[in-house]
Order: sequence, then C-alpha cells, then structure tokens
Amino acid sequence: MQTVFFYVFAALTVLCALMVVANPFSRNPVTSAMFLVLTIVSLAGLFVQLHAFFLAAVQVLVYAGAVMVLFLFVIMLLDLKEEERRKVRKFAVIAGGLAVAIIAVLFCTAIGQTTAGIGVQPILEGGTAALGELLFKHYLLPFEILSVLLLVAMVGVILLSKKDLK
Amino acid sequence: MNVGLEHYLVVSALLFALGLLGVIVRRNLLVIYMSLELMLNAANLALVAFSRFNHNLDGQVMVFFIITVAAAEVAVGLALIVALYRKRETAHVEDLTTMKF
Amino acid sequence: MNAFSYLDLLNLLGPETILVLTSLAALFVDLGALRDQPLPRRWLAGGGVTALGGLLAILWLTNVTAQANLAHGILVVDPLTQLVKVVLVAMLLFTVALSLRAEFTEHVGEYFCLLLLATVGMMFLVSSEDVLTIFVALELTSLSLYILTAFNKRSLVSAEAGLKYFLFGGVAAAFTLFGLSLIYGLAGSTNLREIATNLAGKGTDPLLMVALIMVVMGFGFKIAAVPFHLWAPDAYQGAPTPAAALIASGSKVASFFVFAKVMALGFAGIEGNGAWRQFAPGWVPVLATLAVASMLLGNLAAIAQSSVKRLLAYSAIAHAGYMLLGLLAMSNPHRRADGMAALVYYITTYGLTTIGAFGVVQIVERTGGDSLENFAGFSRRAPLVAVCLMVFMLSLAGIPPLAGFFGKFYLFTAAAGAEPGNLGLLWLVIFAIAMSAVSLYYYLQVLKRAFVAAPAEAAIAPVVSFMERLTLALLALAVVVLGALPAWLLGPIADAIKAAGF
Repeated sequence: MQTVFFYVFAALTVLCALMVVANPFSRNPVTSAMFLVLTIVSLAGLFVQLHAFFLAAVQVLVYAGAVMVLFLFVIMLLDLKEEERRKVRKFAVIAGGLAVAIIAVLFCTAIGQTTAGIGVQPILEGGTAALGELLFKHYLLPFEILSVLLLVAMVGVILLSKKDLK
Repeated sequence: MNVGLEHYLVVSALLFALGLLGVIVRRNLLVIYMSLELMLNAANLALVAFSRFNHNLDGQVMVFFIITVAAAEVAVGLALIVALYRKRETAHVEDLTTMKF
Repeated sequence: MNAFSYLDLLNLLGPETILVLTSLAALFVDLGALRDQPLPRRWLAGGGVTALGGLLAILWLTNVTAQANLAHGILVVDPLTQLVKVVLVAMLLFTVALSLRAEFTEHVGEYFCLLLLATVGMMFLVSSEDVLTIFVALELTSLSLYILTAFNKRSLVSAEAGLKYFLFGGVAAAFTLFGLSLIYGLAGSTNLREIATNLAGKGTDPLLMVALIMVVMGFGFKIAAVPFHLWAPDAYQGAPTPAAALIASGSKVASFFVFAKVMALGFAGIEGNGAWRQFAPGWVPVLATLAVASMLLGNLAAIAQSSVKRLLAYSAIAHAGYMLLGLLAMSNPHRRADGMAALVYYITTYGLTTIGAFGVVQIVERTGGDSLENFAGFSRRAPLVAVCLMVFMLSLAGIPPLAGFFGKFYLFTAAAGAEPGNLGLLWLVIFAIAMSAVSLYYYLQVLKRAFVAAPAEAAIAPVVSFMERLTLALLALAVVVLGALPAWLLGPIADAIKAAGF
C-alpha cells in the first residue's frame, strides 16, 4: 500500500511540475500557478509518506495558501495575458531542454551509484514536539535571524511596490 | 518492492531539473519564479527524505526554514516585478535590455 | 541537546544586536520624527544614527573579547570572526559616509535600515559554521542587497538591475540549497567540521561531487566568479553607487570568508589535486578552473568597457579570480593559516579600495555620467579627488608600494607554497601575474583620461562635500599606509588566526 501511494504521489508531483514549466495547452501564468499548487499538494503527500506530518501541513498552508495567493494576486494586478510566442527560439529551447536532460540523467546516475542510505531502515518519526524542541533550542539563532529576514522583506516590499506620492 | 531513499532522491532530482528547465526556457518572469519554487521544493523533498533515513530531525528543521525564506524571497521578487512594471509595462525577461555589454 | 539561551546570544552577539536596533532607530527617526523635514537634513540624521550604531558596534567588537562555539557551530565567535566583523562594519561606515549627499531616493530611513541589516546578515554569515545558519544568513544578505540594488525607483536601470540580480541570485540559492541538502544527506550533519569527519572515505561518491559542484556554483555566484558572474556588471551599473560599493566590498568579504570556511573545513579531505598533470577530482581543480576563467574573462572584458562602473565590475570579477588563489592555498591543512591570512588581508584592502573607487565614480557621475569621457580632465576639476582616484586605481592594478601590491604578493606566495616539494599551483600563480599585467592597461586608461586628456568644453567642476573629501582621503591614506606597513594589518590577522585555532 505504501509503495502504491509513493508512486501515485511521485508521478503526480513530477507530472504537475512538468505542466508548470511546459504546458502544451496553455501558456497562461494562471494555469502554471494552478499546477504549482497541485505539485505542492502532492509533494505534501510525499512528506506524509516520510512521516513528516507537521511539514506536510506547513507546506500546504504556507505554499499553497500564502505564496500562491501572492502569485495569483500579482498576476491579476498586472493583468498578464498569455505569454506571447514572440520569435520562438527553437534552438534555445532545444539546447536548454537537452542541457537539463543531461543534468537530470547525471543526477540519477549519481544517485544510483551512491552508497548513502543503502540498507537503512527508516525509523525516524518527525513529531511536532521534537521538531519544536529542536527549533527553539538548538536552532534558536537561525530562527531569530529569520525574523530579521522577514523584517527586510517587509521593508523592501513596501518600499518597492508603493507608489511614490510625488 | 520497497521504497527507499533513492526513489525519493530521483523524484527530487527530476523536480529540480524541471525547475531549471522552466527557468531557462520560459520567458514570463512569474513562471520563472514558479520554476524557482520548484527547485527549492526539490531541495525540500531531498532534505525530508535524508532526514528520515539519517535518523535526525535537522533536515526537517531546515525545510521549515527554507519554506519561510522562500516565502520572503517570493514577496521581494514579486515586488521587484511590480516596480519594474510601473516603469515599463512588461514581465518578460527579453525586455530586460536597458544595459548592454 | 546543546541548547543556548537568549542571554548567551545577547552576550556574544552584542554588535549584531546593536546594529539591528540601530536599523529600527533609523527607520523610526526618519519616518516618525523627520518626515516633514528637508531631505538633506534627513540624510544627515539617518547617517548620523547609522554611524553611531556602527561605531558602538566597532567599540564592542574591539573591546569585548569573546570566544565561543555554541550548539555545534551555529554561532562561532572567535578573534578572527571579530576581526572580520570590524572590517565589515568599517565598510558599512564608509558606505554610509559616501551616501550622505545621495539624491537617488527620498526613502532615507529604509535605505539606512537595509544597509544595516545587510551588514548584520554578513556578520552572521561570518560567524557560523553550520549549513543552516549559513543559508539563512546568506539569504538575509542577498535579499537586502537585491532591494538596495533596485532602490532608485525613478530609474528603469535600477529596477532592471535589481530584477536581474534577483533572478540569478534565486537560481544560485536553489543550487546552493540542493547541494547543501545532498551534503547533509551524505554526512548526516549540518556542522561543517562534522561533515568533514563523516565524509572522510567517501571521496569518490559521485553524489558528493554533484553536491560539491552545486555548492561551488552557489558561492561562485556570490563572489561573482566566471561563469556565474553575469549579474555583476548589470547590478554594479544599475544599483545606486553607494549600494554598489557595499555589494562590491562588504558582501564580497563575507562571502569569501564563509566560502573559504565551507571549502577548507567542510570539504577537508576531498581537495583533489589541481597541480599540473596531477589532476584528481575534488574542490581544488574546480576552484582553479573558476579562478582561471575569472581572471581571463574579467580582465579582458574590462578593457572593452566604457562605463567605469562596469569596468569596476569586471575588475571585481578578475579580483575574485585572484582571491580564489587564497582559497586554493588553504587546500593544504598545514598551510591553511597562511592562505587565510593572505585572503583576509587581500579582501580587506580590496574592499577599502573599491569603496573609494565607487566614491570617486559617484562624484564624477554628478557631472553627467560614469562613462570614461566624463573622466576627461578630471584632475583639473577636482585635484584632490583625482589623486585619490589614482591611488585606488594603482592599488587595484597592484603597483607597489600600495596595499594592492602586497595583497597580491602574499596571496600569490601563499598559493605557490601550498604544495611544497612539487611545483603544485605554480602554473596558476604565473597565469595570475600575467593577468595582473594585463589589468594595468585598463586602470591606466581611466587615469589617462583623468590626468592627461583635456576636459570637454562644457565640463563643470563637480560638487564635492566635505564628508566625501574626508572619506576618500581616509580611504586613500589607508591604502597607502597598509601598503607601506602591511604588518599593521597582517600582524593582527595572524594573531587572530592563531587565537582562533584555524
């Protein structure tokens, strides 16, 4: 059963990701955004398979909830039409696709040859309590740095997107 | 057949490659950002998988941080697009050509 | 569980805390109290607050001795990190001094706030030996710098530069992250030293090589090494000049320092071999390739530039190539201290010189633009500033007795001595010397315009404020003094490295 779930979610993730970047039917950013939501939700499914229940919830809440809303908001705000197919540079597309395919194959070969994780039984349970303990004790400093980072993002976003009154 | 670490890593590698493809091939800045998100999510998946097979939670904490950082990054990136759009009605990379050579 | 409390944090992170509070104060003073005041007064007040915070931080750094390694490298405070932090805050102060007459924005409070927080990010970056903290600090620095690059909202170029910087930065961050996650997976730890211990004996794992290359790509972007340099010329040209100065100096110092730590500590044991005909896979050959490419492309492309900001950008790329030699010198564990000392000396003097050069460019920009033509006859219009420009350019070119010469000298001897016995990296050193000879050409081009060429008919004398004169004179003096008496800086660096046990 576990195996079936893995393959279903893995296939969903990869397929939806493909639809984000190379949708043959539509070049509309909104379609891409919707498929990104699906990718993220099926990724959360994989997280559940890995017993990272809290992260699965956060993934859906933050990404599918907040980040994607932001994306859609900006798409609507700018009133973006379909990506125009101006001078489709076939050569660039093919070269890019080829390069990426080579990278992917290289990756998978490396993964196939690695010694990491062979014969290891997954036993870790990512309980929320344990995660919180680690986050607020061991990783307290990065957590605080993150708050400064959010301050920067806030100041920056207000500054950049506000219309100057003059 | 049991699902092992390498299965998750292959999914994550594919996700990363697809994201990279989007960044290279697509012209719309918003879609490029979405592809960037895919690349970050690939790292997330790898981290969660490693975390489970390494028997420590550090990887999961890292994912937690990455999700937050990615949200902040997207916000700044979208603000940059909005700022550019104010100056020049475009969201295409091909139009970023004011500076040459 | 190795936990730490807020009290420990405040004790060890006094300077960072001061700067964060200062950034809030700068925001508050400008947006709260001075909103209706004339712009020059707001710049002065914001700059004053920032300078005050920076000076306090420097006082703390130089007077409070601290040495700690909290929670397995999440926070590492030792004399070496303190020294580098002093350098970073000093660069912030010089940048602030050069921004006081800026006219590119009326969002003064936000500007100083972001300058300060970018510096805080760099300081966290310096004092961390943990993958997670490095990533978060890197992102803090990068985000602040993206926004600073796009800060001039009146200019299309600035917005475009910010966007390009962001795009390349985002991709680089994704690569770094994926590489770091693979390393975490292979080593089972996020601490650099533990990673090195756990990776021992896995040197040939292909996944490790993939991870290594991805991490190098990410950091290569931060230090603007070829082929990950594409953002640099545009960002330097489009960013407001003081922001570009900070990107070229402070950000480079912090990135190089942490890059060196990641490579020398985290990847200790998988150096490989970059010596002539003795190739073995590892990070040395990868970095050697980057160094060659950066020196070659940076120097050659700089010759063809007409915008001096772009010229400085390509020169920065070339200098990143030289600095990579310092990292390569660290590949030998017994010579690591030498390499680190040479690197820290070089990035410090280089950073100071670059800030100075950008300061001069800012003054020239007021007379119309930053192209080479605008420099024509500059020595007759602003003699003092022109002399400073000469010092900076000659130092960048590596002419004795200026700091740039000694920096290169130490760097190259450290790299040549990294593999005693065989000739090791000598080929790289010879190449670097040849390339620095090439670089002399374009630096002299700028000086020729400034000193020999006749000024254009309509050329006007630029307005130079007292503060700018003072800052530029101080920077030029520092470049001369550190060149004439390099021991003044090298001594403390060597002591700090010894005390830090690097």
